Amino acid sequence: MSAFKRVNVKGGISRQSILAPLREAQIVSSKPVFPAEILSTILDYLPVPGQLRFARVSKRMREMVYDDTRWVQRLQLMGCWDEKEARKSAEAARRKRSETLQSIHEEEAKRAGIGVNGTANGTNGSDNPEGPSVTLFDAAIEAAEHEGKTNGGPLKVAPPNEDGFDAIETSPRGRPAAYKSQDTASRIDIFAHVYSLRGFARQEYGKVYGALAPFYLDAIRCENHTHATVFRTYRDPTQQARMLFNISKFSNSDMSEGWQKRKEKFDALVGAFEMAVSKEFEQALDAGDVAGKMRKYAHVLAYLNGGHSGVELFISKSSIIGSRYRLGNALDCLNRKGPGSFSTEESYSFFSNVSTAFNEQVGIIDQIFPTSVNAIVPFVQRVGKAVISDYLTTLYDEAHRTNIESYLRAVSATCDQFLEMTRFLRPTSASGDDFYETLDEVIATIFEPHIDLYLKEELEFFKKRSSAEVNNWEKQLSEQDASMQSMFMSNVNRQADKRDFLTSFKKVVMMPVNVLPTFPMSSPFGGKPATAKALVNGEALATTEISGSQTSTRPSSPGVINGTTLSVNRPTTELPEPPTTELAAKAAIMNSRLEGIRSLFSIEVALNLVHTAKSSIERAAVFVKVGGHFASDARLQCELVFISLLQTLGTRHIKAGFDQAVDHLSKYKPKEVDEQQGSGVTPLVTFLELVNVGDLIQQMLDVFYEQELITTKLSDRNDFLNPAVKEKKRFEQMLDERVAAGLNKGIEVLMAEVEYLNATSQKPQDFNPGAASGGDPDVMDIGPSQAAIQVIETVSSHTRMLVGSTDKNMLDVFNQEVGMRLFAALCKHLKRQRISVNGSLKLISDMNLYFTYIQTLKNEDLLQFFKALRELSQIYLVDPADAKELATIIADGDRFHGIFRAEEVYQFAERRADWYQIKSKVERAMYGIGCMLQRFFLIQVEASYSVVPQYADPSEHEYSRLYFYPLASTVERVSQESPERLDHNDTPPSIVPP
Amino acid sequence: MAEMQKIKLMSSDSAEITVHRDVAERSVLIKNMMEDIGEQAMTEAIPIPNVNEAVLNKVIEWCVHHKGDPPATNDDDADSRKKTTDIEEWDQKFMQVDQEMLFEIILAANYLDIKALLDVGCKTVANMIKGKSPEEIRKTFNIQNDFTPEEEDQIRRENEWAEDR
Repeated sequence: MSAFKRVNVKGGISRQSILAPLREAQIVSSKPVFPAEILSTILDYLPVPGQLRFARVSKRMREMVYDDTRWVQRLQLMGCWDEKEARKSAEAARRKRSETLQSIHEEEAKRAGIGVNGTANGTNGSDNPEGPSVTLFDAAIEAAEHEGKTNGGPLKVAPPNEDGFDAIETSPRGRPAAYKSQDTASRIDIFAHVYSLRGFARQEYGKVYGALAPFYLDAIRCENHTHATVFRTYRDPTQQARMLFNISKFSNSDMSEGWQKRKEKFDALVGAFEMAVSKEFEQALDAGDVAGKMRKYAHVLAYLNGGHSGVELFISKSSIIGSRYRLGNALDCLNRKGPGSFSTEESYSFFSNVSTAFNEQVGIIDQIFPTSVNAIVPFVQRVGKAVISDYLTTLYDEAHRTNIESYLRAVSATCDQFLEMTRFLRPTSASGDDFYETLDEVIATIFEPHIDLYLKEELEFFKKRSSAEVNNWEKQLSEQDASMQSMFMSNVNRQADKRDFLTSFKKVVMMPVNVLPTFPMSSPFGGKPATAKALVNGEALATTEISGSQTSTRPSSPGVINGTTLSVNRPTTELPEPPTTELAAKAAIMNSRLEGIRSLFSIEVALNLVHTAKSSIERAAVFVKVGGHFASDARLQCELVFISLLQTLGTRHIKAGFDQAVDHLSKYKPKEVDEQQGSGVTPLVTFLELVNVGDLIQQMLDVFYEQELITTKLSDRNDFLNPAVKEKKRFEQMLDERVAAGLNKGIEVLMAEVEYLNATSQKPQDFNPGAASGGDPDVMDIGPSQAAIQVIETVSSHTRMLVGSTDKNMLDVFNQEVGMRLFAALCKHLKRQRISVNGSLKLISDMNLYFTYIQTLKNEDLLQFFKALRELSQIYLVDPADAKELATIIADGDRFHGIFRAEEVYQFAERRADWYQIKSKVERAMYGIGCMLQRFFLIQVEASYSVVPQYADPSEHEYSRLYFYPLASTVERVSQESPERLDHNDTPPSIVPP
Repeated sequence: MAEMQKIKLMSSDSAEITVHRDVAERSVLIKNMMEDIGEQAMTEAIPIPNVNEAVLNKVIEWCVHHKGDPPATNDDDADSRKKTTDIEEWDQKFMQVDQEMLFEIILAANYLDIKALLDVGCKTVANMIKGKSPEEIRKTFNIQNDFTPEEEDQIRRENEWAEDR
């Protein structure tokens, strides 16, 4: 507002007054002077010629008009101002200036015209050394090098026009004739000669303006499109198109009032031209004149506006769109093999037809369109939308309506085939990488509407299927429930079978990687790589038939397993047909051997579930290849399927099975099962086998996880927050918990069995020959008793089953527990026996047998106990005559490694058949040796003799021994009570040998 | 409430004019001022020292007609072509005043910061001078010619490409 200066004008001036002339003069002089910004705004609204006339008003106005930004803006609007280039040349100019500072004046003198300009600028420049004038001046030198011709040409020809009419309002004056003399060809590529020079934007714009404005203004003035000068100057449609394109570009810089109308008018002209060319193109297209007219007019259209209308026309006329129904009928895929089934070969032939037709068209595109036109992208999009998407939507809708499974397979298989096909599509020579990007986009858009539904259905389907599987199995189970009990009985003796199973099981476990990957072969995707190759070779039908046949075998192989296991009585006897895969066969064998536990859960069910999950995951995994958010969706989906597999298998199947097994175990009472069986605790065996199977299933899942989710990069193992990983952990944990709980119960049951065995099969004469039957005590057979052998067999057979199937630590704990409990059971058992010296031999061999068995468990702590037990058994071997020695043994704590205390040993000694004969001797010897009861005895002695002993110090062993020796009867009485009394003591006195 | 509020403006020649507040607030200057001084603006007349009564009335007339317009967007830097729309009919008629008044309006619009009115005014001026010779432009704007005839001719020749037609 600083420039705001004006004289106040009094309102209501009467023009009629006498003083009017005076007032008029005053008004002129007092006319408000506009500040610069208002003038600049006014300038903005002036057309180019008006602006330049404005420049001639005064120096200040010229400066304003010549301001570079004004013209740079126009160049930018035409899209031919390159800021980078401008910066570069400005820097180059600055460098050059310093070099040529000396010769400037000479150059000025040489070129008078620019010299004046330079001087004028120079005066301005002195006020403002940083101002544009300096640059302008320097650039003038530079510009002269490449500008002179174009700039100079029109200037000389065009006569000066002083009266300054507005360009639009002037009537046509036949001016274009003057321009014919100019090089018409150079106008066509005028934009190639426009440079981005700082301080020279006006001149550069002038070049374009001079070349194109006449045509532009003429075209707008023209009533009839065909009479426009452009069309009369240029005859060749290609040139016409290029000129129109240039003018259209130029018209963007027209920003004075009314530009919208002018633009509209010009666009109408271009539209008319385009229409005419398109018509020609269409005619050529219909005539099939590929190399001639089609090519020509495609180029014309490309010059005019990038050729989109040509591409559109071409695509809509293209044979692949027009005859898309001949490429294949979507419903054929479904109806080929009867309703509801999906046939991959039909869709395959569709895709191969599409790809052939596509490549053909691409060839034509290459021929007719110039490389600048990207015809392939819209073409691909159109083909994708009109042909493939149509086809797939029809197919999916129909499949979804009729059969979910075939829908799932159709979606996945066609997606895969489609991806495969895109790899063989030929890009045009014009298209670069964006062809493949476009393809990806097209794929994404085609599958966009389907993928959510598909993924949802897939998960649904899997869940439904797996729960149906389990339900089915449970139903069958409850039907068999009645006959099950007897099955238990009859199958129990098949030790050999079990062992056999265990070996085969181990084999499977040992080579899971070899076995498991083979079973995908039976899935429909086994044929996929072959199909892929077929696409290359073109031998489509042969291979797809193979994949088709594989498809058909797939449902049959689980069927075999079903037949094998679920027929109630003798599953192995008749197989409808041999199992197709190695694992299926293994599973069948295993199942036949696992009858005993199949009431709890079935490996075959697990296998089926894994199988279903696998095909689900593989189907979904196809979409990972599509990329984008589909990939993450599909990945998530695969994990979900896996999680749901774990849940179904884990909680519904295995957990239930384990719970039932534990239940069975806890209900087990050895007496009730009596007699009918020689060895083995049925529920425990069942349970242990269950552990094995559970372990097998877990390993199977592990391998499955590795194979399907890790190696295919569907899931990240190291991501501990990943739900699939978490679920897997939980599954394993659940399994471990069940196993631990079961083992806990199992040990109890096992021990109950051991005790039962000991109680029932240990004959009294075993350890006390002659006592019961009165048989010859000399005739005896050395060796372990029947009971011991049975116990060992029972225990070892059960523990062995666990080897390799559970965690090593858990196994150790289990063994330790079994050993300890066995030890306790044996001690208890021993205390119930009466053992003679002769019988002790048998006992020792029993104990040796136990010891040997425990040795195999390789548990050092456990071994100590049984060593002690073995030592203990020797107390029965001592001849009654050596009662004193026996006492030494009893008191010898070291002998039993501290495991038995003397009192305990004493209790065992009581089980000697001749105990009452040697009892007094032993006791005498014992209490003579021991001193633990000394004080107690002293009190006794005190009571009977009424003598106060002067040597009451318990440390004087010798004395007290001598002193009490004769008091046998007293001691005997006391010692009979002593064990109980000792038991009551909180801290039992240690036995210190003298 | 805001519609009911009236404020007083005082022109340079001390004439008080009462206007609705939302009309007055077409002027960014007044709007900002109101925000600054608050309630006081309701009671006292706001002096507009650069604008006389006749011009102020004219400006207010414009503001009344345009009070419903959407507020001017602040993106002057955006495509400058966008703002070059045609003058609407009412504005064209409104601007049919003598040149002196037109200039006064432009200056008032500039001072009061009414961008739309300023634009209309500038466009009108541009239309007025677009066919005029430099001498006529000088007369119109009261600008002194500080060129020598040679200099002026030099500029004309420099820009010959834009002349004619």
